[in-house]
Amino acid sequence: MRSNPSDYQMVAPGNLRAVVSLLANEPGAWLPIAGGTDVMVQYAAGKLPARRLVSIWNLPELRRIEIAEHEIRIGAGCTYSDLRKHEVVGCEFPLLASAARWTGGIANQNRGTIGGNIVNASPAADSLPALLVYDADLILVSARGERRLPYAHFHTGYKKTMLGPDELIEAVCLPRKFSGYFSHARKVGARNAQAISKVCIAALGHIENGVVEDVRIALGSVAPVPVRITETEEALKGKSMDPGLLLLAKKTVASEIRPIDDIRSTARYRATVAGNLVAEFLSLLTSAPAADSAAVLARWNLLSPDEAMRMILSCCGSKAWAQGMAARRPLADEAALLGASNETWSGLTRSDWLEAFRSHPRIGESQPTQSSSTEPERVQSVEWSAQEQRNVEDAEDAVKLALADANREYEQRFDHIFIVCASGKSASEILRILQRRLNNDAETELHEAAEQQRQITEIRLRKWLQE
Amino acid sequence: MTDSCRGRAKSEISLVVNGALKTVNAYPMERLLDVLRHQLQLTGAKEGCGEGECGSCAVLMDGMLVNSCLVPVLQAQGSNLVTIEGVAAEGVPHALQQTFLECGGAQCGICTPGMILASAHLLNQKPEPTIDEIREGLSGNLCRCTGYAQIIEAVAEAARRRTTA
Repeated sequence: MRSNPSDYQMVAPGNLRAVVSLLANEPGAWLPIAGGTDVMVQYAAGKLPARRLVSIWNLPELRRIEIAEHEIRIGAGCTYSDLRKHEVVGCEFPLLASAARWTGGIANQNRGTIGGNIVNASPAADSLPALLVYDADLILVSARGERRLPYAHFHTGYKKTMLGPDELIEAVCLPRKFSGYFSHARKVGARNAQAISKVCIAALGHIENGVVEDVRIALGSVAPVPVRITETEEALKGKSMDPGLLLLAKKTVASEIRPIDDIRSTARYRATVAGNLVAEFLSLLTSAPAADSAAVLARWNLLSPDEAMRMILSCCGSKAWAQGMAARRPLADEAALLGASNETWSGLTRSDWLEAFRSHPRIGESQPTQSSSTEPERVQSVEWSAQEQRNVEDAEDAVKLALADANREYEQRFDHIFIVCASGKSASEILRILQRRLNNDAETELHEAAEQQRQITEIRLRKWLQE
Repeated sequence: MTDSCRGRAKSEISLVVNGALKTVNAYPMERLLDVLRHQLQLTGAKEGCGEGECGSCAVLMDGMLVNSCLVPVLQAQGSNLVTIEGVAAEGVPHALQQTFLECGGAQCGICTPGMILASAHLLNQKPEPTIDEIREGLSGNLCRCTGYAQIIEAVAEAARRRTTA
């Protein structure tokens, strides 16, 4: 039975204060509606009990994301698209960004809001397990003032919440303390977009020397509310990663959750899949070198431009390059970092390239031709040069002498030092390359050297991510 | 608080539709879809599921793809809407309309208006989408005829023509 619009009243006061005072005057009489992706579905089906609605769509007070030193504060009216687009959410809270990506399709992501998802309190909501593992707090607002409570306490039962009849969720606060963790999210449903989850997982973990230091796991669709599986977490902490641990995890999960049969799936299927999802997370956690590099990148993304430049100069000595890289932040992952580097490098001038070349020691020497500074990034660069040229260090004296001669000839001819990506190359190989390149004309040689520098930078960026 | 005076009576709601300012008299909870079809006679947007699952009622509201069956018309007050009727320029089909035609991306036509608008929204944000990005961009639009391959090809082709033009 379709609803008749003439039975409904709706107002749009346009600012938060007016909405809150409306709610205070008649507590429980008004149903807030944001993007309508849940409310309008009930309305269309003739199942919307509320008859008076107050629009909170696009209220400016609810649609901003504020970044503070220790937490980010996401306005409850931010849409999934807002979350997907936001750099800090993407870098530091990837579980939330992935949940936003697979909630509904694009049209629903443009309208559905994080606050609406929380208040709707579906046990299957994709973003809610992420909020649990990230230790989110909620800010609730009413004419009486604001209060803050842990999100974990907000849902009190199936579709029941702590929200007072005169209250709205104003913001979701996430502490910025998990960027060093490995994270994993997965939704199991008929399809990713539009279909509601049968089971979904959001998990964070940190291992050290093969031992589970910390683990935080939440599941959707296995209980009346999204849940942290704390018994399983406790059972895993301090254990070393071995195949037996996966079995233990599956067993504990099975005893900890009580899923139900419903139209989307069965209790038995859900219990099995939940155990498998936790086991999958654990095996990814063991083989996850990416966790640390993600953290390095996440931290670098947030530095001031000057600091960011200084941090990355050890990978390539051109200031213009470092400046370009800092300007291209935020960079999501290693591929984005390398892509940005290649683009920046190819857009530089000759003098920028030469500056980068000068930051290297001559092949066979240990100090750069230009600077002997003791700044940390220079020290790092010198150390990396030594690693790259390790084979030259060990070469026979005759080859070293020939290299030194060829270096001198090269510099006289081209007016800059010989640059070659030395990693993995023997001294005599390098000598052959140097002798061949002496036949180049100046322009060809400049570009060949620049290409070598590009390769060096790439290798160094990879190392830099692991530091 | 002037807006809060709106009761169960109809309200006057102004919006720009396909470049022209329109004022309609509607109940605030009327669905944008119904207002477009019944009051403005723009019947390109179709009602498929009526619950935001199928995308056949999709339109652009202030440049963002939305399902018009889930938008109460009061929330469209003052917005700038583009429906399928506003996509072609003076009788010349939009590049996407042309490639849908050529690639066999349209059959029965129910999903096509939403598909074209979702594709236009995608190409506005990502002028050179990968196949996966096209799939994701259209994941909220269901088609029961084509099996999707021709639709995806049509979007890829439109992107190619636009970037090489």
